[in-house]
Amino acid sequence: MEPDTSIRSLEGGRGPAGDRERMPSASPSGDVFRPPSAWSNGRQRSAILYLLTPILAGGALAATVGLSLGSFAGYIPTAAVDLFYSFLRMCAAYVASLGFALAYGYYAATRPQGERVMVPVLDILQSVPILGFFPVAIVALADLTPNSWVGPNIASVFLIFTSMSWNLVFGVYESVKTLPIDLREATDSFGVRGIQRFRQVLFPAMVNRLVYNSVLSWTAGWFFLVEAEIFTTNKGGALPGIGSYLSFAAGGHNGTAFLTGLVLLVILIALLDFGVWRPLGRFAERFRYDQSPSGEGDLGSSGLTNTRFRRAAAYITRGVRSGVTRVSTPLVQLAAIPFRSTAGRLRRNEHHPALYYGILGGILVGVWLLLIAIIVAIFNVFSSPLLPSVRGQILELPLAMGASLIRVVVAFAFCLAIALPLAVLMSRRPRAARVGLPVVEVIASFPATALFPVIIFELLPYISGEGAAVLMLMTGMLWYLFFNLLSGVRSLPPDLEEASRSFGVKGRGFFTKVLLPGIFPALITGSITAFGGGWNTLIVAEYLNVGASQKFQLLGVGSAIDIGYAEPNGLPLMVAALLTLVITVIAINELIWKPLYRRAVEKYRYD
Amino acid sequence: MALIRLNGVSKSFASRHGTMSIMEGITFDVKNADFLAIVGPSGCGKSTLLRLIQGLDHPTTGEITFRDKPVESVCHEMAMVFQNFALLPWLTVTQNVTFGLEALGWPIDRIRAQSERYISVTGLEGFEEAYPRELSGGMRQRVGLARALAVEPAVLLMDEPFSALDPLTAESLREEILQLWRDPQLPPEAVVLVTHNIEEAIQLADRIVVMARRPSHVLEQVEVDLPRPRDRKSPAFYELTDRVYSLITESGTPRPVPAVASPTSTSTSQPL
Repeated sequence: MEPDTSIRSLEGGRGPAGDRERMPSASPSGDVFRPPSAWSNGRQRSAILYLLTPILAGGALAATVGLSLGSFAGYIPTAAVDLFYSFLRMCAAYVASLGFALAYGYYAATRPQGERVMVPVLDILQSVPILGFFPVAIVALADLTPNSWVGPNIASVFLIFTSMSWNLVFGVYESVKTLPIDLREATDSFGVRGIQRFRQVLFPAMVNRLVYNSVLSWTAGWFFLVEAEIFTTNKGGALPGIGSYLSFAAGGHNGTAFLTGLVLLVILIALLDFGVWRPLGRFAERFRYDQSPSGEGDLGSSGLTNTRFRRAAAYITRGVRSGVTRVSTPLVQLAAIPFRSTAGRLRRNEHHPALYYGILGGILVGVWLLLIAIIVAIFNVFSSPLLPSVRGQILELPLAMGASLIRVVVAFAFCLAIALPLAVLMSRRPRAARVGLPVVEVIASFPATALFPVIIFELLPYISGEGAAVLMLMTGMLWYLFFNLLSGVRSLPPDLEEASRSFGVKGRGFFTKVLLPGIFPALITGSITAFGGGWNTLIVAEYLNVGASQKFQLLGVGSAIDIGYAEPNGLPLMVAALLTLVITVIAINELIWKPLYRRAVEKYRYD
Repeated sequence: MALIRLNGVSKSFASRHGTMSIMEGITFDVKNADFLAIVGPSGCGKSTLLRLIQGLDHPTTGEITFRDKPVESVCHEMAMVFQNFALLPWLTVTQNVTFGLEALGWPIDRIRAQSERYISVTGLEGFEEAYPRELSGGMRQRVGLARALAVEPAVLLMDEPFSALDPLTAESLREEILQLWRDPQLPPEAVVLVTHNIEEAIQLADRIVVMARRPSHVLEQVEVDLPRPRDRKSPAFYELTDRVYSLITESGTPRPVPAVASPTSTSTSQPL
């Protein structure tokens, strides 16, 4: 993976510092006097907030539900056991992810075929909606394993593994890649290898990125774990876990039970943060070697809380960037071979890209139709003929996909309307950031999927099914957009801001000429990741069934996957719906995000 | 007549270890038709001083006046040329030059005429539609200069404008700035140049404010009365360079014993 200098300089922001004057050391930001960093004393605050938020939230909820504390106690054992199952799955997935990341990341970074094969493969895997493959995995593993308990568990661990591992892999890969060459040469020249090499060279180089990426992995992991467990409640034998627990509690309108589970989950996440990630973060700080001239040092040494999500955003961004700029998905590449020369010429000629994209879109539609036909044919031949209801739903898939797409776009629009002003406020008003950012980080680290059952079963009457779906999608999209935009606004070069002030450019002029173009690359990468989050959330945002009387269903590709999973003989529908989703995601990436991203890096970069 | 007057300007900020003073008791004037250079070692707050003058930042104590009125907000009768150009990479040369003009709310015809004039004055013809990244460093700084001159400022502030350029480019741009400065048709009534390059200061300026650091204070004001064009190899030039150089280096020794009595420097300054 070639280092993309454009965004690196974007993160660095300041450009070549030359020999600009330096203020006394307390000022972190270079030549011009600026008040001491606003981030520096947010740590204790955020710690207090971290403790207070769950307590306050729990207390407030308890008060509104109006139940005595005594009745909670009855649910604690059940909830705790379910939470323990979930936790075990998380641990298993994390251990697997870590081992996989160390091996895969190291080999990808050190072997010549790593650049060519291993990294692109990872990019592709990371860009498809992994959750969509979960039902396929469950069904496949259920067939392979006689015990109905083993299959879903392996499938859910595998799902969490996929959500956890890719950014860990990129963390290891980048750590090894960015190891200073002279350090590597010294290691080789002294013949340091094996355990010593790992302990004294590789591990210290990786530990920082690993810890920060692990925090991110666990956040993503919780989201998907809860989602997967909720998903399994759609068909009888649910996985015992906090997700299914919450799902059933909300389905039974049992507020006390739901709240008990929720509070336990929050406590566990807070405990992990205080007991594991913060100490690990402090430990990892010791291994930081600041070679990078980029913005990392600029973020200050304010500890884990305040920087980790911005770092996380940077890592996500980097991942997306590599995914987008890299040669496209193999499917598209394969399809593009016949007219590659034409495409190349079209690509160079900026005035006529429409034909290229038209052909690409046509090919994708063709591939989609072909694959659906193949699936239907396979099931007709090797399995039972399609049921009329299943056939009807397969024919309805384009409509369902359209409905889902509209929901995702609407949710994205709402997210943008929230995230952009919030990001601008947080980065331009130090006081707002001091209070607001820790709160946002605490909220963002909580798996919103845990609230889905209550959104579905309690809020539905007030906001309708579509409102509930959009709300759920937003929880899966908002943070990607927000943290990307935040890092975008924060990395706006200070001298551009200063020039704007100096020449009296403010208000609308500042927004359209400086701010918006300045954050455009961050907006695009944020949008790509947010849409990725949205596709992944679709599968639980359109359908939930915890019993005949408690059923939530909208027309959509996500619910088609769920129905295909839940109903007997629904497998072709599930596979067809999944294919529709994957092809749509590829099409949107190729036809919308890639051209926009190319434009973003060509025009809207600092250099 | 003093165009800009700095009177006992200090700047400090609160840090974890208490109050940190950046500059103390800065007093000097910028007169009409003055080409003033502020020279000092890295870290002596020269750039901060320039920002205080325009009102981008505010002094902790002391007063800065422009035409006898205190500078309270950003003063748009001054324009800044930045060290690293601070051009907007997504705007063309013309759009960058009109950046400040549009903010002034001029009518579009006037903006166009003005930008054409200053693009021509700074030798940027033919590059109107280019983007900054397509230009060399020297050309970029011309855009920065055109942008600043286009708003017809009374005072042109230049923050190390040549230090991001290679020596040859810097030299030719210095010559051109001197030519522009000599042209009575062109705007600035005064120029304030911040630099750490002593020769550059002597070559360009009529007067040099020599500063020392930690906290920064004015060591001395040196009049440059060499005839123009100035010959860098002349003994007088060399002597002056040497004098300013000694002023700075002697103030920079760990125990500050002011070798030259300075009316404005605070003798209580402590090395940090």
